[in-house]
Amino acid sequence: MQREQMLEELSKIVGKENVLSSETDLLLYGYDASLFKGKPDCIAFPGSTQEVSEIVRFCHREKIPVIARGSGTNLSGGTIPTRGGVILHFSRMNKILEIDIENQRAVVETGLFTLALKNQLARHGYVYQPDPASEKVSTFGGNFAENSGGPHCLKYGVTTNHILGAEIVLPDGEVIQVGGKALDNPGYDLTGILVGSEGTLGIATQLTLRIMPKSEAVKTMLAIYNSLEDAGRTVSAIIADGIVPATLEILDKLTIKAVEESVHAGFPLDAEAVLLIEIDGLKDGMERLAERIMEICRKNHARDVKSAKTEAERTQLWAGRKGAFGAISRLRPNYLVCDGTVPRTKLPEVLVRVMEVSKKYNLTIANVFHAGDGNLHPLILFDERDEEELRKVHLAGSEIMKLCADAGGTISGEHGIGTEKMKEMFFVFSPQDIAAMRKVKKAFDPEDIYNPGKIFPEVQA
Amino acid sequence: MPRMEKLIPRLKEIVGEAHLIRDPDKLKACAVDGKRPQAILSPGTIGEVSKVVAYANEQSLTLLPMGNGTKMGMSGIPKKMDVVLSTLRLNRMTDCDCENLTLSAESGIPLGEVQKRLLQEGKGYFLPLDPPFTERATLGGIVATNSSGPRRLLYGTARDLIIGTKAVFPNGDVVASGGKTVKNVSGYDMCKLLIGSYGTLGILCEITFKLLPLPERVTTLLLPFVRLEEAVQFGREILQSQYLPSSIEILNEMVVKKIKSPIVQQGNYLVAIGLDGVAESIERQVSEIGERAKKSSALEIAVLASETHSSFWKAIRDFSEGLVEEGSNFISFKSNFLISRCGEVMGSYEKIAKESGVDCGLICHSGNGMLYSYVFAGKGVRSKKEFLLNLIREFSSVAVKNEGHLIVESCPPGIKKRIDVWGEPRGEYEIMRRLKKEIDPKGILNPGRFVGGI
Repeated sequence: MQREQMLEELSKIVGKENVLSSETDLLLYGYDASLFKGKPDCIAFPGSTQEVSEIVRFCHREKIPVIARGSGTNLSGGTIPTRGGVILHFSRMNKILEIDIENQRAVVETGLFTLALKNQLARHGYVYQPDPASEKVSTFGGNFAENSGGPHCLKYGVTTNHILGAEIVLPDGEVIQVGGKALDNPGYDLTGILVGSEGTLGIATQLTLRIMPKSEAVKTMLAIYNSLEDAGRTVSAIIADGIVPATLEILDKLTIKAVEESVHAGFPLDAEAVLLIEIDGLKDGMERLAERIMEICRKNHARDVKSAKTEAERTQLWAGRKGAFGAISRLRPNYLVCDGTVPRTKLPEVLVRVMEVSKKYNLTIANVFHAGDGNLHPLILFDERDEEELRKVHLAGSEIMKLCADAGGTISGEHGIGTEKMKEMFFVFSPQDIAAMRKVKKAFDPEDIYNPGKIFPEVQA
Repeated sequence: MPRMEKLIPRLKEIVGEAHLIRDPDKLKACAVDGKRPQAILSPGTIGEVSKVVAYANEQSLTLLPMGNGTKMGMSGIPKKMDVVLSTLRLNRMTDCDCENLTLSAESGIPLGEVQKRLLQEGKGYFLPLDPPFTERATLGGIVATNSSGPRRLLYGTARDLIIGTKAVFPNGDVVASGGKTVKNVSGYDMCKLLIGSYGTLGILCEITFKLLPLPERVTTLLLPFVRLEEAVQFGREILQSQYLPSSIEILNEMVVKKIKSPIVQQGNYLVAIGLDGVAESIERQVSEIGERAKKSSALEIAVLASETHSSFWKAIRDFSEGLVEEGSNFISFKSNFLISRCGEVMGSYEKIAKESGVDCGLICHSGNGMLYSYVFAGKGVRSKKEFLLNLIREFSSVAVKNEGHLIVESCPPGIKKRIDVWGEPRGEYEIMRRLKKEIDPKGILNPGRFVGGI
């Protein structure tokens, strides 16, 4: 179909002012927070489920790819228009439709920012637990598509554990409701398979979320180490001692330095690693539990352990963690975040091997990660204008994924496969495993309209 | 020679002669809704399961997966069942990694046995699922039927606790999903599709769960109320508080009588609040919730010590098993609905039952909007068919009105033939049928028993 005709058809559905197609626009919506780039044919901004459905119906008829997009914060190239097509941008669909305290649910449109809901819930003393680091701007649609994690997932689970239902536009434009406010609807758990499917099976226009009363008390601690492995060992030891904190986050020396230069969280510059620990729940017994945790830290050679005395101190410690990626981006022009995940007991040995990769390729790697989940985030720093360095970055990234897979782990804990890790799918899956996933894709989207060129490796290994 | 006879030699060859059973009495014992299998096969490894399924697919032989068969009365009447595929020889704990808080185990092992063994590990661990049939339910059966219990309020259900599965798909492929990391977004979350799929997409062979260390202390508060509204209101108050109960159950008088609770004989409705956690928080919750209960017109406040605590919850979980043992004639249902509508649904069900002149036992996971109801039809169920069908319709419409469904969990085949045990069809069924068709094009796995005729 001619581009002009496509633009005309889309303008009929959403209005001319809600379709973008200039060369600049095509560039701007052709990349995300990964290292990949593509080029869409145009960008449409639907204002309702009805409009989404009409656009999809049109694209389905004309065999035009459709890529749903929120804020573009995803880290695996999940929103890259690999074969052109229409970007469906959800910024106009950003309303909180309902906060239903007595049923402990919220219903939102998928263009809503994660934090915007949390701020509203706080007024009712309620929380939505998942907390991706980008929650200030990441949208619920993105959280849904990527099954986002975050520091508090250790205790509360990831996004999929908190999405109970969705309004879905299928690749032929049909609108269905999956799941809902009530639990355990009969039938296959379509909500469960759709969450984390990276926009390849269905486009969510509304989500039904689980919300819960805010914890009565929270305690945040910081342990300081002269060795990164000791910090890793502490994490394994805390879990093995039968304690499941709300979060266990590690930042290494390079990250500490970057953080201190930008957000001044009060981390000591000469430390090799800091471990941020948070427990929450009822206030009773919390002091005793905190004491036990601090004792484990000391046993594992923490040189100092302190706890936040005030809410301001707690906020400052968290600012250090949440600002980490941003702070690191000041060190070099680019970075690649790896997302390998390993069984928690394997953390110390895998950390050592990551640093070996750093030496092997002579690349700077900073480590900041969700240690309690075994979810590593080695950040490989580089300058994309240096082609040789870029080539090494991709090799090192792939090698880190391999060593995570070999340690009984996986290649993505919370960022998704996207365009970035398709080849590496074979590190963790057999051709049979992938063939089964393809059947699911075929049941939902036999013509490969939704977000083509993602997740599935091009060739069979 | 009937077709089955031609296939037997190859099946024997795969699983070994001793593991293919054709004894008529044993086949009779495996009958589902009056239909008998022609053989029972018990493969001993995932590899054998794969070979059996691949052969069955090639020969269009229908398979009905079964563990200890505790939930065979659930779901629709089998369209066809040639062979029962028993998982009971797949009964190993393959990777018990308590330090990592994960367990991988084969599907034929009973959860009760798993829990006993986890208790012995280090400081003691548990798999936080407490579904019915405490001793006999196997992991595979629990997961395939998405079975859960009162403590789901705090710990969630299979979808929250499973991080990996290994299943044999209808073409014989061994398909692995997830693994032993607590976070994993590599590829589609196939585990979710298998949970609650009633064996219609694949044979679950190995499952990896998240574990938890045993709580420092557990206890139960029993609070009887005269009126349903009072009981429901109190449950809601606790749910909306910052307390962290593991369960908030509301039982009606019929159930309280049947489980012969040693404590609390008065009142019509019993609120049972389970508490798990550190000692200090348990002490405070017992005292504060007790105080609140007094103010909210609870007739009594009983705290169960650890032994009575365990037997009390076991009696709740295994309520239907108890009824079978005492030889009761009953029909049972599971309803889901909005959390805030527990009172309406329980009240309506009691009213409907009363108007129909039958007794009705109710167990409600009030914090989750889940109700298990048991209608005692007495003798001569057959003669009461029409009126029971009417009762089912009325129960169902109450659940639907409250944004849920009614699932008939057990009833005589005569009634089953006349209803859809899954309740009203939903708009998403078409996609479910497409999934089934892609994954099991010949319909060899458990045909006819799932939603929408799957």
